[in-house]
Amino acid sequence: MRAFLAAAACVVLASCAHDAAAPAASPSAGSGGAVAYVRMDDLVKKHPLYGQLAQYDQNIEALDLTAFAPQAITAGPALQREEDALNAQLAAAAKRTNDLLQTKGRDYQAQEDAAIASALRAAAIPNGPSVAEIRAQLQSTANAQTAGVNAQAQTDLEAYRKQLEAQDLAQIGAAQRVLAARADRTYRAKAEELTAKEAAYTLTLANADAAERLSLRTKLSSLALDDEQRDDANKQLAALDQKESDQLAAMRATDQQQLAALKSQLRGQIDAEMRTQVAPIHARSVARFQERERELRQQFSAPGQAVTSGAPLLASNPNLPPDLRKRILALHADYMASFARDAKATIADFTKTRADLARRYAVLSGTDQSANQSAQAEIVALQKKRANLYAEMVDQIGREVKTVALQRGISVVVSDVAAPAGAVDLTDDAMKDIETLHE
Amino acid sequence: MITTRFPHRLIALSVVAASLLAAPAALADDLADIGYVDQSQLSALPAFQQADRELQTYGSNLQRQYIGRARGASQAQQQQLAQEFQSQMADKQRQILGPLFHKAQVAIASVASSKNLSIVIDKRIIVFGGQDITANVRDLLTGIGDPVPPVNTPPPSNVGYVDQAQIDALPSIKSAADDFAKFKADEDRTTATKLRGAKSDADRSAILKDYQSQLEAKQSSTLKPLIDKTKSAMSDVAHKRNLVLVVDRSNVIYGGTDITADVTAELK
Repeated sequence: MRAFLAAAACVVLASCAHDAAAPAASPSAGSGGAVAYVRMDDLVKKHPLYGQLAQYDQNIEALDLTAFAPQAITAGPALQREEDALNAQLAAAAKRTNDLLQTKGRDYQAQEDAAIASALRAAAIPNGPSVAEIRAQLQSTANAQTAGVNAQAQTDLEAYRKQLEAQDLAQIGAAQRVLAARADRTYRAKAEELTAKEAAYTLTLANADAAERLSLRTKLSSLALDDEQRDDANKQLAALDQKESDQLAAMRATDQQQLAALKSQLRGQIDAEMRTQVAPIHARSVARFQERERELRQQFSAPGQAVTSGAPLLASNPNLPPDLRKRILALHADYMASFARDAKATIADFTKTRADLARRYAVLSGTDQSANQSAQAEIVALQKKRANLYAEMVDQIGREVKTVALQRGISVVVSDVAAPAGAVDLTDDAMKDIETLHE
Repeated sequence: MITTRFPHRLIALSVVAASLLAAPAALADDLADIGYVDQSQLSALPAFQQADRELQTYGSNLQRQYIGRARGASQAQQQQLAQEFQSQMADKQRQILGPLFHKAQVAIASVASSKNLSIVIDKRIIVFGGQDITANVRDLLTGIGDPVPPVNTPPPSNVGYVDQAQIDALPSIKSAADDFAKFKADEDRTTATKLRGAKSDADRSAILKDYQSQLEAKQSSTLKPLIDKTKSAMSDVAHKRNLVLVVDRSNVIYGGTDITADVTAELK
């Protein structure tokens, strides 16, 4: 998106060019003065500040590659897909649990019917099963069924734990990347600033000594100089170089100290911030897991209670002994309550988990986007610095080119030519002058 | 034009100051037919600033819409959406800036004609010399009434220009450019992954260096031969038509000699 505004602007400018201008005429006589050209890209590469410019380019490129806008937008669907997959898993687990509960309900119903039938038979026939036998039988069945549901719940709990772990890792990783990228940018910005100052200082030193150096060189080119005078001039030149080199080295040493201190400070900040961010992430997950575990334990913590239904049978057999009737009614009430609790808790739990996952993924997505926005802002800032530096370099090159052009009687010099044809190429001459800025 | 050529560099250096002082008057006659305009100064005029503000508002709204619609869309859908929004933006730019550019073009043509310039180019590519007509154009644009188009066509110019977009559209060049673009997109993805895993500045620099050298190698093998061929064709045409140099059309604001058709024919 960032590029298309600029691209569209170019479309307009290009389409408007020549609209109002009269058509180009056929060639013939040349213009008045000699026309020359320079290869500006080559000259810029020879400028003393080129290193700094290249550094800007490299940083812009690195940021562009790692944090360009389309990635932020594609992060949305990717996360959405992940979230959908997890939701599907959770929905499947919920369905499986519900199916189990339904099976359990049907089995309990059948057992209850059988138990009541046995109890009724026992009440009428002296050799029939006692209430204790019926209870034991129901208990055994209920225990087996509850154990099955427990095992399934344990499997689901384990899957839930793994999901929480994976989410934690993703969240911590994202936080780590954001913090590291931020620290990295801060460090690089400082390094660039210092490098720019060093480059500018180099240039200032060279400019300050330029007159003296030129004078010494002119002196050295004189044939009339005797050996002693020549040695002296050479020593003075060497002293100038040494002085500049020492001054620059001192500045660089200070800069390196500053950078080392900054690096250590940033590392400390990252560690502190990571601790601040990781602790609540872990705490939230642990609490969530424990809550889930506790709920499941509560759901399946009373397997000894035999559960039967049989209200219809009770209703149709009003002459049952009071104890048996009371027991069966109590079991029926327990069964209904447990079943309702099981179903409700399980479904509510899965719904809550699903909503929680959606929220957490939204947070993750937000983290990525804010990181990208910050990188975009930095790219813009770097591009501005780069443009200013480039303009400064081109201005200086222009001054050198002007000197060369005046010497060679050229009236117009252009850059960025598509093809030179008969124009004079001043690049090499200008390059020699620019190279003296390094000395 | 300064015709005196100094045989000795030292002597030349010693008189540079004097030459600089004398330059404006001495050069005046010789800079007759190449003019230039500083477009950044023109774009700072209130009318252009207002247009820019309108476009920025429109662009921001468009960007919000784009992000809203692109979220959740596939990559192919996003590309399609981007094209759609780019097209909308371009239309709006034409609508808002078109009349302003037309007026500026007429003003530039009018000034160029009155000064008998054979070509007016963008200041960005002027390193030295040429006639700066920016102030005259600005006066016409801010004056009362619309500028009047010139009656005369520009005089013949020995500066040629080519429309690079037309040349880039030639099948062989387009195919090579597409091939390179695909290669670059793949490299971008790979490099982005590597950069995310970089642990130090040194790692990052090495990755970027490798990335750049891969691109340069690919450029040398796919694009450079075609670029060289195109430059050679331009030079040939320029020589045949007695031109001193050729610039890109995007840098030419008025006049000049269009050699795009000749170059295209030579390349086919």
